[in-house]
Amino acid sequence: MANNTNVKEIDPTTLATTWNYFNRICKEMREFVFRTAINHATARLHDLSVGIWDTQGRAVAIPEGLPGQFIAGGFGIKLILDMYKDRIYPGDVFLTNDPYHGGALHLPDWGFIRPIFYKDELVFMVLSRAHQIDAGGAYPGGYFPGAYDIIAEGLNIPPVKIIERGKENADLLRLIWNNTRNPKGVRVDNYALMSSSKLAEQRLVTLLDKYGKDTVFDCIEEMFTRTEAGMREAIKAMPDGEYYGESSQDNDGTVLDVPVWVRLNLIIKGDTITLDWSKSDPQTKGYVNSSFANTFSLSMAFSFLYGDPALSEYHNWGSMQPFTIIAPEGSVVNPQYPAVLGACPVSVGTQICEAILMALSKAMPKKAIASWAREYAHHIFGNDPRSNKLYIYVTFNMCGGPGAVYGYDAYQGGEIITTLGSACKADVEEEEVRFPWLYKRYEYYPDLCGAGKWRGSPGVYWEMENEGEEATITIGNSLGETTQGPGALGGCPTPLNRCHVTRGEEKIPYLVGRIYPLYPNDILTKICGGGAGVGNPIEREPEKVREDVIKEFISIEHARDVYKVVLDPKTFEVDEKATNELRSKSKEAN
Amino acid sequence: MFDVCIDIGGTFTDSVVLDEEGNLFESKVATTPSDLSVGFINSFERAAAHYNLTVEQFLGQTRKIVHGTTVALNAFLTRSGSKTALITTKGFRDIVEMRMGLKNITTSMYNMFIPPYEPLVPRQLRYTVEERTRYSGEIMTPLNEQELRSVIAEIKKEKVEAVAICFLHSYVNTANEIRAAEICREELKDVYICTSSEVIPVLGEFARESSTILNAYVGPLVTRYFTTLQNRLKQMNFKGSLLIMQADALVQSVSEAIRKPVYLMNSGPASGPSGSVYLGKLMDRKNFITLDMGGTSLDIGFVKDGMINLSQNRWIDEEMVATRMVDITTLGAGGGSLAWYDPMGLLRVGPKSAAAEPGPACYGKGGSEAAVTDADLILGYIPSDYFLGGRVPLDMDLARAAVKKIADKLNMSVEQAAQAMFSVVNNNMADAISVVTTKNGHDVRDFAIFAFGGAGATHAVFLAEALGVPEVIVPPFSSSFCAWSMFTLDVGHDYLRSCIALENAVDMDTVNRLYQDMIDQAVFDFKEFGVSEEEVEIIRSMEFRYRLQYHDVEVGGIPNKKLNADDFKEATEAFHKRHEEIYTYALRDYEVELRSLRIIAKVKKKDHMNVKELPAGSKDASEALKRQRQCFFEGEPITTPVYDSEKLKAGNFIAGPAIIEVPTTTVVIPGSWGCLVDKYGNFIIRRT
Repeated sequence: MANNTNVKEIDPTTLATTWNYFNRICKEMREFVFRTAINHATARLHDLSVGIWDTQGRAVAIPEGLPGQFIAGGFGIKLILDMYKDRIYPGDVFLTNDPYHGGALHLPDWGFIRPIFYKDELVFMVLSRAHQIDAGGAYPGGYFPGAYDIIAEGLNIPPVKIIERGKENADLLRLIWNNTRNPKGVRVDNYALMSSSKLAEQRLVTLLDKYGKDTVFDCIEEMFTRTEAGMREAIKAMPDGEYYGESSQDNDGTVLDVPVWVRLNLIIKGDTITLDWSKSDPQTKGYVNSSFANTFSLSMAFSFLYGDPALSEYHNWGSMQPFTIIAPEGSVVNPQYPAVLGACPVSVGTQICEAILMALSKAMPKKAIASWAREYAHHIFGNDPRSNKLYIYVTFNMCGGPGAVYGYDAYQGGEIITTLGSACKADVEEEEVRFPWLYKRYEYYPDLCGAGKWRGSPGVYWEMENEGEEATITIGNSLGETTQGPGALGGCPTPLNRCHVTRGEEKIPYLVGRIYPLYPNDILTKICGGGAGVGNPIEREPEKVREDVIKEFISIEHARDVYKVVLDPKTFEVDEKATNELRSKSKEAN
Repeated sequence: MFDVCIDIGGTFTDSVVLDEEGNLFESKVATTPSDLSVGFINSFERAAAHYNLTVEQFLGQTRKIVHGTTVALNAFLTRSGSKTALITTKGFRDIVEMRMGLKNITTSMYNMFIPPYEPLVPRQLRYTVEERTRYSGEIMTPLNEQELRSVIAEIKKEKVEAVAICFLHSYVNTANEIRAAEICREELKDVYICTSSEVIPVLGEFARESSTILNAYVGPLVTRYFTTLQNRLKQMNFKGSLLIMQADALVQSVSEAIRKPVYLMNSGPASGPSGSVYLGKLMDRKNFITLDMGGTSLDIGFVKDGMINLSQNRWIDEEMVATRMVDITTLGAGGGSLAWYDPMGLLRVGPKSAAAEPGPACYGKGGSEAAVTDADLILGYIPSDYFLGGRVPLDMDLARAAVKKIADKLNMSVEQAAQAMFSVVNNNMADAISVVTTKNGHDVRDFAIFAFGGAGATHAVFLAEALGVPEVIVPPFSSSFCAWSMFTLDVGHDYLRSCIALENAVDMDTVNRLYQDMIDQAVFDFKEFGVSEEEVEIIRSMEFRYRLQYHDVEVGGIPNKKLNADDFKEATEAFHKRHEEIYTYALRDYEVELRSLRIIAKVKKKDHMNVKELPAGSKDASEALKRQRQCFFEGEPITTPVYDSEKLKAGNFIAGPAIIEVPTTTVVIPGSWGCLVDKYGNFIIRRT
């Protein structure tokens, strides 16, 4: 805990304004990049994180982003502060994507770090990190199952200074961009990221001018104190004990047909929580290993979910203080160089999240949260005949949404559990303009919500036709064909995902962890499960089951078989007598 | 001849009349929720009486009525719009329920405990038909009319009142949508039908479809309302033009408002910021938080550097609206807000309101629950004998009886309970203002509060005190300021055509044709007002992006003539500059893409509005002293001087604690604040 005994009485308006101002800068930076970047993943799917750290690498503002991308941002920032010490100047920008030497998540996520000076003194470090459309490596797009080591996965950029005192290191940038498949496009996106932190610089200097450096830094100490106290308060209210959580991944992408397990002992003691990942599988040959930055970030973010919702807008370094994370070196949650880890933001990131939800939902049943739909995206790359250029196409449109929570059916919005809903889908119209694929179908599909007293979000039927040339698909970081995200308190798990290609008369399954060709007029179909449920489905109000049947979220058979609710097939009225009988029989059987 | 602006709020219907000599007459009557046109006509009766005319004579001499109404927004917020169906492209039934998979719309990413979203059109009323248009405009699959007819048969069974039609890529080729609308209009005679290409023809099916649904959802109600109103006005001898204020602070014809009622969403409070900018210029002030506190709600607007914020793709509640509108935040707090205890035993005020009927208990119209106005009365802030200039006598006994129910629960005196209610509602409002300002990173202390609405002047200085805002401005006609502000708005409409091409492939003939197309449309639309082509002012703009970006930057200053390649080159250069201004950099070696052409067509303003000046006086305001009464400030009874606003002169200064009684509102000045009357009749209230 930092020494803050000298903190003066802070005027509450100044504190509130300052606190919200930091958060707003981050939101403005994200919006800035959405508006200026050209990469679909960054600009439209919001695969982007930004934040503000102090000169000790403590997170001042981390209001929104993909947890794995930025909550551990302080790791890389501390490394830069150590490496460059007195060679950090106003107008500098650093770049790193290196999980082993730069505290980063995985290679496609490039982080641009700008030191912020005030009156010649280094005061903040600002990070803008986004998934690049290409980052080198064996195949376009950054998801390459079967890579020999991390060198094969892409360009490894340790922390390097790419701009010094406002002047670009043109040689270095040329070398970096030259190793990507779309140098011109990557350059435009890099400008968007670097300029967003320039905006942050302007905003931060304005703040410091207004209140003075001392007042602003007093506010920051107060912000840390308050979030730490708030988080400790929340933990104190949790019952002490050791809670177990686990979750599995279909395979590691290299050794197929062997699931990979993540296991958690979560120990609540007083006002502290220890997340001990020691029982997890050893690091894998395939690329589902989770970099420590990812394990750390997800451990923090998913524990924050159980804090006071009033705190949710304000988390920072202070919120992280009550937590200890144990992740043994050489395990799947802390792999050692040069282990591959390209898929980790989703796999085993998802498993880390699900294990935490399982453990904490046991500790606090009235705050139970079920698993979200398991991610089922892919990368397609090939030549776009319209422009005669390489396209790399990623979308999250096929993915189902969140799981239920205690008290509510799932909220419909929220892409991919590991993003906590910071990523999103795209308009069909936008994707058709940009990629040579024709949407055939994209809507909810019956019987794909994880059942429960409160049910998960519906699953999605997604289908497209290749209007371009021969292309390649990597179903890289996806999961959920053979493993499921658990429900909570007796709720059903996430339904399984399925994918196939229709080529003429043939229907060919396309499976996770593989690379396949796609030919002109191939029809690619994905049927994706939704979120998991909370509570036993036979406790769901029959009226709600009826509504779900009318809305075609579930079939009348599913209502009977899973929810034990009998409906008249014509009027959809609940047959109360038959329902009661079926439900009591089902209870007896249990 | 008269021009009249009339603004129907949840509680009061305000109107301001401008006669040929430049005199303004203000009236405030109760809103009549069961038939809003009754209050509308009552308001004209009041004005007619002022001019010693019958209402028919007065309406006969009225040239123009500008009307702002919350009818569309209220219908949506109270979910009392029509049962609406959606017809969309087969295979794409859930676009508006998925909402692009966005989660963190109103809550933080670290908060999971939010109830599921309830779409305006539930899934069973979302129908799909076979049809498909490509992004190129090519019709790949024509509309399956037979299938549409069987969908219509289903829709008939469901007895829906409105149908929204939104097909993929209809912004580039409207053919399938138009054909579907034709068939629906044939078959569903009494059903309100609208298409996405009419409402807002922009790329991006989610925002377009959501806006179209909202349009349909409020369409029938808005149609009924305006039709009834027009008929009544006609019967009463009105031959002038009735104009409707839109949320983008432009005014439009009734038929246009009926076609596109989504433009009325949030229109009620949209004029206030424009009015504050207008007066701000006279007072040399540019930064305001505008507070419009009426009977039901508080509308918070934001003016920085003399500019009104317009926003696009904005969430209203949980619906996305793609049309442009003035940025206003609304809170359920007003004079009618009712006090209650929550399950934790804490005193709460609002958002439930006594509204116009029955109104607060003190109105004596049958209300028995304690409202903020009852508390204001008990605290002595508002007079029982001069509310609305004395036309609505307030009953202190009824107010005390209502507040006593609140007081008894916590063993407080009636005065203590009134004080508690007053503090709670002020804290709610202060928090909401913080959301708009400090949460946007602006320090509220850099702004002046511009207070209006019936209850704005009563509460504003207390809010300023709580927030540390140094100055409160209460404009003349503060109680009907939104109505007054409508005089400052332009009659006009914006038009948009998609025109996508890289800079070196832009065909100037196409550009000129599309602009001409919009201008022709505008000229045609203006004929409805009897406005000739010469009177129409066209403001052109273009939207650009760097190739493959996802958002456009609008560039103004496009000359209003046939454009050539040089003009276009200038526009692209202006785009680079604008990009640099907004985003700190330009990419001059990278391709620029033209995205759309826009015009705003407005009627050229002939007359500058006359703001009458007050006679000059000295600092001493004693000539306007009317009486004294006991008011409570922080729980202490204080004998407080009461001034008559109609006797105040420019330069008068009133030290707090004091009350200024205006016929339509009451200004409360607590101790340690003082009020200066400026030459335009603004009350400028500052901390002393």
